[in-house]
Amino acid sequence: MDFSINDEHKLIKESIREWCERYLTIERVREMDIKGHPFPDFIPKGLAELGVLLGTLPEEDGGSGLDWFTQALVAEEIGYADPTGTTLAACMAVMTGWGYTINKYATPRIKEEAVKPATKGEKFIGVATTEPGGGSDVAAFRSTGKKEGNEWILNGEKTFISGVEEALKWGGGYWVNVRTGPVVEGAHHKNMTAFYVPIDAKGVEPGEPYRDAGRNALSTSGFRMENVRVPADYMFGQEGKGFYYTMEGFDNARLLIAAGTVGATNRILDEAMAYIKERKVFGRPLAKFEGIQFELVELYHELEAMRLVAYKTAWMQDQRYQKKMFKPTEVAKWISMGKWKAPQLAVAAASKAMHWLGAAGYSDEYLFEMAWRGLMSYCVGAEGGANIQKLVIGREILGKDFIPYK
Amino acid sequence: MTRLIVCVKQVPDTSEVEMDKKTGTIIREGVPSILNPFCEFALHEALRLKDKMGGTVCAITMGPPQAEDALKKCLAIGADEAILLTDPAFAGSDTYATAYTLAQAIKRMGEFDLVFCGQQAIDGDTAQVGPELARLLDIPQLTYIESIEQIEAGGALCKQETDSGYQRVRSRIPALIACLPTPDFEPRIPNVRDVMKAKRKTISTWNKEDIGGAAAVFGLVGSPTQVIKVYSPPKREQGILIQVSPGEAAAKIVDILKGRGVIG
Amino acid sequence: MIGVNEEKCTGCGLCLKSCPESKAITIENKIAVIDPDHCILCGVCVSACPEKAITIKRKAQTKDNSAFKDLWVFAEQGTDGKLKPVVFELISKGRELTAQLKEKLCVVLIGNKVNHLVEELADYGVEVVYIVDNSLCGPYSTDAFTTVLSILISRYKPNILLLGATHVGRDLAPSVAANLGLGLTADCTDLSINEDGLLLQTRPAFGGNVMADIICPDTRPQMATVRPNVMGATGLAKPSDIRVVKEEITINKKSIRTEILASLTDSKVESIDLEEARIIIAGGRGLLKDNYYLLEELAESLSGVVGCSRPLVEKGLMPKSRQVGQSGKTVSPDLYIACGISGAIQHLVGITNARFIIAINKDPEAPIFSLADIGIVGDVNLILPKVWESIKESRK
Repeated sequence: MDFSINDEHKLIKESIREWCERYLTIERVREMDIKGHPFPDFIPKGLAELGVLLGTLPEEDGGSGLDWFTQALVAEEIGYADPTGTTLAACMAVMTGWGYTINKYATPRIKEEAVKPATKGEKFIGVATTEPGGGSDVAAFRSTGKKEGNEWILNGEKTFISGVEEALKWGGGYWVNVRTGPVVEGAHHKNMTAFYVPIDAKGVEPGEPYRDAGRNALSTSGFRMENVRVPADYMFGQEGKGFYYTMEGFDNARLLIAAGTVGATNRILDEAMAYIKERKVFGRPLAKFEGIQFELVELYHELEAMRLVAYKTAWMQDQRYQKKMFKPTEVAKWISMGKWKAPQLAVAAASKAMHWLGAAGYSDEYLFEMAWRGLMSYCVGAEGGANIQKLVIGREILGKDFIPYK
Repeated sequence: MTRLIVCVKQVPDTSEVEMDKKTGTIIREGVPSILNPFCEFALHEALRLKDKMGGTVCAITMGPPQAEDALKKCLAIGADEAILLTDPAFAGSDTYATAYTLAQAIKRMGEFDLVFCGQQAIDGDTAQVGPELARLLDIPQLTYIESIEQIEAGGALCKQETDSGYQRVRSRIPALIACLPTPDFEPRIPNVRDVMKAKRKTISTWNKEDIGGAAAVFGLVGSPTQVIKVYSPPKREQGILIQVSPGEAAAKIVDILKGRGVIG
Repeated sequence: MIGVNEEKCTGCGLCLKSCPESKAITIENKIAVIDPDHCILCGVCVSACPEKAITIKRKAQTKDNSAFKDLWVFAEQGTDGKLKPVVFELISKGRELTAQLKEKLCVVLIGNKVNHLVEELADYGVEVVYIVDNSLCGPYSTDAFTTVLSILISRYKPNILLLGATHVGRDLAPSVAANLGLGLTADCTDLSINEDGLLLQTRPAFGGNVMADIICPDTRPQMATVRPNVMGATGLAKPSDIRVVKEEITINKKSIRTEILASLTDSKVESIDLEEARIIIAGGRGLLKDNYYLLEELAESLSGVVGCSRPLVEKGLMPKSRQVGQSGKTVSPDLYIACGISGAIQHLVGITNARFIIAINKDPEAPIFSLADIGIVGDVNLILPKVWESIKESRK
């Protein structure tokens, strides 16, 4: 058992922190929050230059061959620099978390056209699973794909999709699940097939972006597909296996979210501590009041606990990929524990900080309110809401017989 | 092939130093160690030259075992190899003993084209090791160099800062170049691929037997100067802070100027 | 070498706090333990220990240095051919030291056609001037000057040699020191003679956060470079009689391995010397570009020089030669007026030797106020024009 991070990890963390201190300052984050989307492309480009955008891809595919533990450390630093979770969403969860799965099942053509440019920060790649009928129940999807000659014809609608405007601006596209066979009673997830759909493909009609509560610099919208024709080599992996691939994609995105929101919590508490040590009320610093100090201590303790969960989860994912040491479902349990709790904690920390600071904390003078708005996205959804994570954990610890929805 | 040597120093990050409010002494404990920014610029210049003309860059430092961290950073930034000079006998070196130790090691390394160093280090600010090293290696020195513009048959062409401006200078090579960061200098941030590659590069560790030389010139015994006392500077008297209208503030300033005889 | 007296040590940990090496000192059972593998023998803990429990043993002084006499000042010339102000400051200090030592105050004048400069020195009490007038000694080159100065030292055996801590002084002094194997202390801010008759050299280190007293027991001359503007220059009522010693030294042209190709300084704006300035008006980020002319106007009317903080140089708004601070110039004027400079630590280390600081800044929390003698909280863009108006007014 060794809990220390090695010299390379330290140097990599230092690099990311240096880059963020130079380019992704809190002033910059505030500016992004005010200006809104599209997401500034200097960030993916800069992170790509550092080798940490899609860092876990093998070098021959444009990645850096990082393990998930190192990538999680990167996500943590990014969450620290941008505690609204916006950069975490755009560059880590979506592009990097999903990017790995996209690349893993991509044909040489998809790699060439979409993944490689994405590793350079030149194109956007993301995932589109949620449909107007529902998001949490991934298997309940209605989009369809029909084979015609050497092409597939896709129809349907995807909604609450991150990065549509960015994909339109930079080029790029999505991992899209469609049904390529009949609905199997009791096994809705069967016959799901995943395709790469360029956002500028004929028949793709993007919708208007939503006006979200936070994470304003990254667009969320949807698109309809009407007889979109894609070539056969735009299919990911094998026909009908889409559901399993999608779960793996969620895993990687979720584990980076856990690490990233740990970073955000760390930043929130650092900033709040600096304030409560300085600010005096009734002649003594706020931090001397037990009512505040104890709340801080509780959050701090949970932060360190979540950091351990996030690190262990990333380590487990590495063991799973490299040595097949854990069953995917065992890893998924840990991933869900992180994805459930870490964002909750981050939002709680931001909320408490605002209570401590009062009106100042509620204003745009401090980062707490934008962090609070942005991080809430990871509680309500963004790769599965809090309750979905609990379902996964419950299934693993109680057994399949106790799945609530069956 | 061009061979470039960069002498670097690990220093405490002086911008992170805090004062003990009670005793007025500075607390060095827990202050992070960094690569001296002047050295980082020197390394940057060496790498820039390497990118242009090919060759290799070797980083070298003298210090306690943990000075290895500075070398790791150099390798991550792009140096090809690194040498750590460490031996309890080197402890207590003043600038002369430091220059002597570096010179012994560099002589052992064989032929080279340029030795780079930072103009000074942010902890000592002496600016002496570079020139002393040049003299001990018997090579010409150029100090206060902002950029190496060209290496040609006749030597190295550089832009040098003077007391009152700049001049263009040329030196025969091999030479020692002491580098002064330009205002727009932004240190290269190592990318992760370089960090991983650096893991495979070697750091050689040399002690006093490895580099040879006269035992009497190393470390504390070999240092002609002795630090006999280190203390906090006398505290500056607490100034006055005033917040008044611009007109009154201006009048106050003029009063001070008059009081100090600056204006009549 | 370094040892802890266990009887005296109370385990208070002040040594640990002061130690720059994270692994060198540990406190075990209330006693400080020093690990020789990590200790760099910097001596900071020795000074920090309130019980005087830590000692560093050094070799005893063995050499007989009685043959070395007199204090020498290196007479650096500026690009205008005149002696630099720091030369007179060193001579004035040297007069004080030589009176104590009962030795002679001497000046070394090296250059091309420099004989006439001797006249200025008599007013400052100089007794001997060594002149090397050689066409290869102008302009300055490290190689020629190192050769000449080394030969003079070997011939005349001075006890002390002082140089200004200017670009030339900081280039030449270490070269000579290494050439002759001498000790050298950089950037001194004070000099005195201790009870053993040694030159006690005081210099700031660690960005001005600490002071160190340094001696050079064995090697001669005891060499130091001294910051310009820190020590005053005072003349004498009655000029001294100067003995001029002209030395012929042959320099091989080929031994000069560097050459100056061109001066890159063309405008008069750039040819200022911040380190020698008595009054500096410095602008920072808080000053609007439209108001830069005020710095120039004020500097001119107060016989001062314009300086600035790093951000202005970074943005290309001011030349590098005006930058005050860590990567710029260390200054020590009588008066420093900081206009809209917040005072990053890198800037502050450059001005700790200023004798009086006026700072104008909007932010009452700006670190510059920690050093300022008078801090004015307000908009420099509103205040400075009024200062200028009022000065113009009083000139009428």
